[in-house]
Amino acid sequence: MKDRSLSIRAALQLAPTIGVLLFVFVLPTAYFFVISFWRVRAFKLRPEFTFDQYRQVLAEFSDPLQFTLALASVVAIVTVLIALGFAYFCRFQAGPAGPAFIFLVLVTLFGGYLTKIYMWKTILGSAGILNTALMELGLIDSPITALLYSPVAVIITLVHYTLPLAILPIYGALRGVEDVPLEAARDLGAGRLRTFFDIVLPQIRSGIVAAFSLSFIFTAGDYVTPLMVGGPNASMIGVFIQNQFGNRLNSPLGSALSFVVIASCMVIVLAFATAMVSVTRSRR
Amino acid sequence: MSALVQLRRVSKAYGVVKAVEPLDIEIQAGEFMAILGPSGCGKTTLLRMIGGFIQPSTGEIILDGVDVTRLGPERRPTNMVFQGYGLFPHMSVAQNVSYGLRLAQVSLPERKRRVEEALALVHLEDFGERRIEQLSGGQRQRVALARALVMRPKVLLLDEPLAALDLKLRRAMQEEFRRIHALIGGTFIFVTHDQEEAMSLATRICVMDRARVVQDGTPEEIYRRPATRFVSRFIGEANFFHGVAQSNVVTLRNGASFSAKVNDGEVDCVVRPEDICLPDQGGCDIRAEAIVENVTFLGHHRQYRLSSVLGDDIIVSSRDRSPDIDVGSTVTIGWRVADQRIVSQ
Repeated sequence: MKDRSLSIRAALQLAPTIGVLLFVFVLPTAYFFVISFWRVRAFKLRPEFTFDQYRQVLAEFSDPLQFTLALASVVAIVTVLIALGFAYFCRFQAGPAGPAFIFLVLVTLFGGYLTKIYMWKTILGSAGILNTALMELGLIDSPITALLYSPVAVIITLVHYTLPLAILPIYGALRGVEDVPLEAARDLGAGRLRTFFDIVLPQIRSGIVAAFSLSFIFTAGDYVTPLMVGGPNASMIGVFIQNQFGNRLNSPLGSALSFVVIASCMVIVLAFATAMVSVTRSRR
Repeated sequence: MSALVQLRRVSKAYGVVKAVEPLDIEIQAGEFMAILGPSGCGKTTLLRMIGGFIQPSTGEIILDGVDVTRLGPERRPTNMVFQGYGLFPHMSVAQNVSYGLRLAQVSLPERKRRVEEALALVHLEDFGERRIEQLSGGQRQRVALARALVMRPKVLLLDEPLAALDLKLRRAMQEEFRRIHALIGGTFIFVTHDQEEAMSLATRICVMDRARVVQDGTPEEIYRRPATRFVSRFIGEANFFHGVAQSNVVTLRNGASFSAKVNDGEVDCVVRPEDICLPDQGGCDIRAEAIVENVTFLGHHRQYRLSSVLGDDIIVSSRDRSPDIDVGSTVTIGWRVADQRIVSQ
């Protein structure tokens, strides 16, 4: 009797979450997965099973796909390295000011996504802050146009945007690392760098994997940043997916592209997690 | 033969706060020394300076003839058992113990042998594969000890090693420390605020108070001949009888007097509870009337609290089994001049 009332209560508590997940995530995803195997004829969706879309993805879109995954990897790795440095500083070197710095990081999350993109446009543009400053200083004669509308601009913008998302899980993990074991490692002969790799890193592994995943997945799925600051050479897969659903009215191809991206992201995140585990494994 | 550890005018100041006043200490090889004092007296700072975790503000530290003052902990022939142990939570017991050897690039077979040896020394032979979170507090303490001892340090430093353990476990670990020290014959320096622990373990006690060493000697010397009022109060229980010294004669409040070589002025006459006879059976040099306030039976002895003109809180411990001293009765207490210690105020 008591068990049943307990399970009813648990079900009631879980219901909103399950409901939201089911209706806004599981069902739509399942729908798109199904139609990725359907055909479009005369702009009409027809339930006829085919692998055509997936063949087309591999034949026509492997370049932007590879470009996207490579760029997302670069963004995620740069972000994790900067976030790690910042979080480490806040945890071990900033003393009582550490949590205040983390609060500042939280505050920057309020600055919207588009605000940050326009901010970088203002900084990197040919009449932007950076070029103007360099010209005023006499370091360059004409503006560097390569700054904006390039893959580098996309990387800078996305690193900046995903940085807080990476700092928070790493800082959270670092808070669980106690000070005394670090002193003990030094006492046993480890220098500062060795202590970091042998004692700190294995304990914050999950935080780093979380930070990498957040930054990587966000970047791989983004299509606004490349449109705004990327230029013609930075066409990421998200732009193509949006195109298929929008202008081309080819939702099966868009869906197939999406699922290929999701699968690739899972493979890369898993590969990163595996690499982290093997790098930080304790030896005898 | 010069001492293994030499501290010369070593001090530490944080801004204007002096954590350790300049001090000189020499520690011989094989000594088991306790640095004893209340919290905030600078004892841990002193130990951490020897270990290399804190840079002294002045002075130098010589370890086995080498000036290590500017060397970090990873380059000193010392190892520390930390308060809270500082075990690596992501490693097994054996990995914890072998970590230092791995850094020192000791070969794998040698490493295995020494890890097993160290674990056997602390009676954890079969615990090598366990994870740290599976261990009890006492077992963690042993792992921390094994991890330090496996390095064969010239000096083993212990920072309040038993503070986190309950009384029974603490006693057992004290016994372990004593056995291991006797077995491997190393030099141990440990910090504690527990005078009983210091007395029972150390061959030498260095008592600190307010950033200074106030007395340095064997446990017996410190107990029998405390140098200051602080030491006599901190080490064991003591009664303080106020007196006035004039021309080498001390007069107590009840008029009793005796001769002693002290400077004129106010003095305290320190007498341990077990040195006071109750009731006076002759043989005492100084006597006083006192009223019995209460009696506590403590198993191996009785503790009496009495009041008299000498003071309100006189503590006497007696192993005499005769139970015929009633609360409220007036008795004569007394002690021998040889058992007392005069400290100036």
